[in-house]
Amino acid sequence: MENVQKKLREEAKNLLEEGKVDVIVGYEQGTLPLTATPCFISDPLEAEKLVWNAFCVQNLAKYVHDVIFLHRESQKRVKPEDRKKKVVGVVARGCTTRSLLIHLQERQYDRSEVFVIGVPCTGYVDKKKQSALLEGEEVLEGVLANSELQVKTASGDRKVALAEVLADNCLTCRFNNPLISDLMIGEAAPPMDADREFEAVDAFEKLPIEERWAYFTKEMAKCIRCYACRNACPSCYCKICFVEQTQPRWVGIGEDETDTQVFQLMRLYHMVGRCVDCGSCIAVCPMGVDLRKFLKKLDKDDLEMFDHRAGTSLDSPAPLSTYRENDREDFIFNP
Amino acid sequence: MAENQSSENWEPRIVAIVCNWCTYAGADLAGISRIQYPPNVRIIRVPCSGRINPFYVVKALQEGADGILVSGCHPGECHYLTGNLSARRKFAALKSFLNYIGMEGDRTIFTWVSASEGDRFAQVIKGVTEAVRALGPAKKLVKHL
Repeated sequence: MENVQKKLREEAKNLLEEGKVDVIVGYEQGTLPLTATPCFISDPLEAEKLVWNAFCVQNLAKYVHDVIFLHRESQKRVKPEDRKKKVVGVVARGCTTRSLLIHLQERQYDRSEVFVIGVPCTGYVDKKKQSALLEGEEVLEGVLANSELQVKTASGDRKVALAEVLADNCLTCRFNNPLISDLMIGEAAPPMDADREFEAVDAFEKLPIEERWAYFTKEMAKCIRCYACRNACPSCYCKICFVEQTQPRWVGIGEDETDTQVFQLMRLYHMVGRCVDCGSCIAVCPMGVDLRKFLKKLDKDDLEMFDHRAGTSLDSPAPLSTYRENDREDFIFNP
Repeated sequence: MAENQSSENWEPRIVAIVCNWCTYAGADLAGISRIQYPPNVRIIRVPCSGRINPFYVVKALQEGADGILVSGCHPGECHYLTGNLSARRKFAALKSFLNYIGMEGDRTIFTWVSASEGDRFAQVIKGVTEAVRALGPAKKLVKHL
């Protein structure tokens, strides 16, 4: 980790100095202990700010999309001959590169507009798990050393094993190494326990229908519709999201519980073949809605029905944008 | 749509979203041939089953429809060549997902009816009405004003 971070800073500095990239989207130290936050670096001297550790949570592909589209917007009023191309560098782990691949596949930007600095990933810390283990106590100081979080809270020093606080999606991650990169930093990370990725989904599928519905309504009742999940999701990049559309008004804006359920249901459904299981939506959710239980099902269906995994190859198109003659038909009603 | 929810003589209300070229013509044929089928269905005509936003289905459920029927041309017979093939994928995923979260599978029904199948159209409507009647009034996801 330390070496990767050191190398990352060097390489980032070089890239900026050489003008290969105009801005680097990476992570910097957060304002609270044991956190990291996304940052944008365009000055080579600031490359020292970059960090790479187990607290880098957000999927940066979201910001790459934002930066490129802001730049495009700013170029609209510039004479065509004076328009500048901007290359965005991004510190990308496996799931981030998958999101980038989805963007490229969906023709959001050109491959030459991004410079992928690949980093190996061994999983990130789930803040909610950490907070639960510390019984909600505030972290005053903390360091990560030897796969252990050494934390100082108001009630004294605590130690928490890193494996216990890793996010669920990281524990069963299949693609923790970058799938595409222009520059790879560090050795490939060891594989995670990918064979168990659908365990929770399989168990949930076996529950009786009323229990599944009860769980869905219980989880969705937590949702306050802050739309943080949508804002954090790299696959949610529509200029006008259906929740804000008024003609037609797809989702009511009151506090009716079914409006929340319909919002979540449709946002989840938009992720068929587009969710890379990066966990950003779950990490930003202030209410702790168990979105992964539902997102992972879409992942499973994507694999079983369409033989596709989101963002793993530029050649396989998004499953709902294509078809096969022999797609499954067992759900078709025959009187 | 919610007004007949609690009454004793409840009748299922089914929204049928059908494509202009096959199923709608099939419904037409059923009418011309004077084939009888239950009057519980409200037909919405769209250009192609591929044009149906899955949101229509969810929205109809939220607005209180007891059942939704989506029907288009048989695979390979689409007026626009591949519209129904894209639709098939969309609805396979939607149906599976609705079932996963705990919605009854028989409330959302997908099928194919061609323009020459007036009889099949009547059979489909009968089948759907019976299936929805067996489930009773829709309760999940229904918005009450």
